[in-house]
Amino acid sequence: MDDLRMLRRFGEELEHEPPATLARQRQRLLDGLSGAPGRPRPRLSRWTLGWAMAGLAAGVTAAVLVAPSVLLEGLGRVADPVPSPAGDRPAKPNGALNVLLLGTDSRAASPSAGRGPGARSDTMLLVHLSANRGKVGVISIPRDSMARIPACADPAGTPLPARTDMINSAFATGGLSCVWKTVESLTGVRVDHALEVDFSGFKGMVNALGGVEVTLPEPVNDPKAKLRLPKGKQTLNGDQALGYMRARYTLGDGSDLERIKRQQRFMRALAKQAGKLRTDPARLSAFVAEAGKWIKTDAGLDLATMQAIARSLERTDPGAVEFVTVPVRPYAADPNRLEWDDSAAKNLFARVRNDTM
Amino acid sequence: MNPSGDLWRDIADHFSDGKAGPDAMVHRMTAPPTTETRDCDLLHESRTRPEAFAALFDRYSGMLYRYVSRRLGPEVAEDLVGETFLVAFDRRSRYDLSYPDARPWLFGIATKLVSRHHRTEAARYRALQRSPAEDTVENPEERVVAEVTALTSRPALASALAGLPSKDRDVLLLIAWGDLSYEEVARSLGIPVGTVRSRLSRARRKVRAALGDTNPMHEEERPWTT
Repeated sequence: MDDLRMLRRFGEELEHEPPATLARQRQRLLDGLSGAPGRPRPRLSRWTLGWAMAGLAAGVTAAVLVAPSVLLEGLGRVADPVPSPAGDRPAKPNGALNVLLLGTDSRAASPSAGRGPGARSDTMLLVHLSANRGKVGVISIPRDSMARIPACADPAGTPLPARTDMINSAFATGGLSCVWKTVESLTGVRVDHALEVDFSGFKGMVNALGGVEVTLPEPVNDPKAKLRLPKGKQTLNGDQALGYMRARYTLGDGSDLERIKRQQRFMRALAKQAGKLRTDPARLSAFVAEAGKWIKTDAGLDLATMQAIARSLERTDPGAVEFVTVPVRPYAADPNRLEWDDSAAKNLFARVRNDTM
Repeated sequence: MNPSGDLWRDIADHFSDGKAGPDAMVHRMTAPPTTETRDCDLLHESRTRPEAFAALFDRYSGMLYRYVSRRLGPEVAEDLVGETFLVAFDRRSRYDLSYPDARPWLFGIATKLVSRHHRTEAARYRALQRSPAEDTVENPEERVVAEVTALTSRPALASALAGLPSKDRDVLLLIAWGDLSYEEVARSLGIPVGTVRSRLSRARRKVRAALGDTNPMHEEERPWTT
C-alpha cells in the first residue's frame, strides 16, 4: 500500500462524524449574519459568544457570592421586582436552593433585528445550591433549545398563549417571570428565586470594586481589544478587565475554549475581590449602587433571605462550582435548533430535585 | 494562483497518486456538492444578502468538521468549524469569484486556525504513536474499521506526522485528508504550486521512511525526543 493511501486510511480511523451540536455553530454564524445587508459585523458576532460566557461567569459569581452581599444593602434600590410564577408550581422537597439566572446584554441587542424588547438573554443558568451548601451546580440551558412555553403574561399584563418556541423567546416576550415559569414546567424543579444580570454593567462593576487583581503568565498586547499589559500580578480596571475578557487572538492559543478558561479565571479573581467587600462598607455601598442598576430579582429575594443565603454560602468554595449543560440534540423539525434529550435531561433534573447532584 | 498549464499536470499527478479507482470511496469526505448554485454565486449573493452565506455552512460544515476532527480531535473541531465560517463570512468580499468551488478557500481558513493548535495536534499524534488503537477508537463499528487496516502502521504514521514541520504537514494533510489537488492546496495556502510540490515530496519522503523502517522509534523521525 502506498504511503498516501495508508495515510488516508489512518485519517479515516481518526475521523469523527459531525455531532448534533454542530447546529449551534450554524446559529452562531446566523447571529453574525444578522447585520445590515452588505455591512459585516464579524467582531460583534465573534464576541457574542464571549459575552455569553462572560455573562455566564459573571452571573454565577453574582449568584454565588456577589449578589447576596450586594442585595443585603441594595435591595431597596432594585426597581420593579419580578413576580414569581402564578398557578401550579413544583413542590419544594428539601432545603436545596435553586436560582434561575439570566445573563442579558442590552448593549449588544441587535439593532437591526427589530424583534422583541431591547435586552436579549444570552445566557440561561439554573444554579443549584445543595441543602448543606457544600455543592454548587450550574446548569446551562442552551438558549436555542426548542421548548413548550406555558401561557404567560408579558410585563404589561397582556396574556400570551402557550406555544412551542426557542426557550429564550420566553424572555423576549414575557420577561423574567415567563422564563421562570417555563423552566419550572420543563424541569419539574422548584425554582426558588430568579435573578437577571445585565452584563452591560460589567465595566462599571469592576471599577466599583476598585479593580480586580490578576496574575498574567505572559505580557498581553492585543490591539483589537485595545489592551497592553505587562506580565505578572496587577490590578485591572473596568476597561482593562473587559479587554482581557474579550481578547482572543493574542492570548493563549486563540480558541474559544482558551478564552472561556481565561474568563473563568478572571471571574474567580473577581469573586475573591467581591468577597473582600464584606469588610469594606464604603466600597460595598459604591459597588451596590453600581450593581443595583444592572440586577433585577424577584420580590421573594428580600433582605432577610439574602442575608441567610449569604451566610450559608460563606464557607462554600467558589472554585468548587460544577458546570453542566442540559443534554441536547438537534430539533427534529429544524436541525438548526436544539431540543432537550428527554431521558438524559429528566435524569439530570431528578438529581437537582433530589439534591443529589 | 491562476489555472494555467500547471493545472493539467497537477490533475495528472493527482490521479497518478492512485486517487481514482479503489480509493474513490475516500472522496465521500469532500465530494463536491450536487446542488445547482455554485459556491461563487452564493458568495456573490452574500455580499448583498448575508443570509445566503448560511448555505455554505450547510454544504461544507460537515466536511470541515471531519477534516479538523482528524487533526485535532472532536473537542476542538466544533468550535473551530464555527470560527472558520465566521472568518470566511468576514472575508467574503475578498473572495475571488472566478473560482466556483469555495472548498480550497474554506480549507485554507480552517488550516490557519488549526495551526493555532499546533501543540494539541502534535500531542495528539504523539499519543497515537504510543498508545494502542483502543485509546482513540470509541465504538465497536469504528473498531472494526480500525482492525481492517494495518494497525502496525499506525505508530509509524503518527510518529511521522508529529515530526513534520507544520508547513509540510499542512500540505500533506490537505492532499491526503482534505482531498485537494496541488493547485487547490496552492490556492488554500496562498503559496506557489511549486512550493506545494516540494513540501509534499519532502513530507512524503519522511512518511515513507517511517513506514519502511520497522522501528518507528528511529531517531531521525523523532525530533521531539525528550
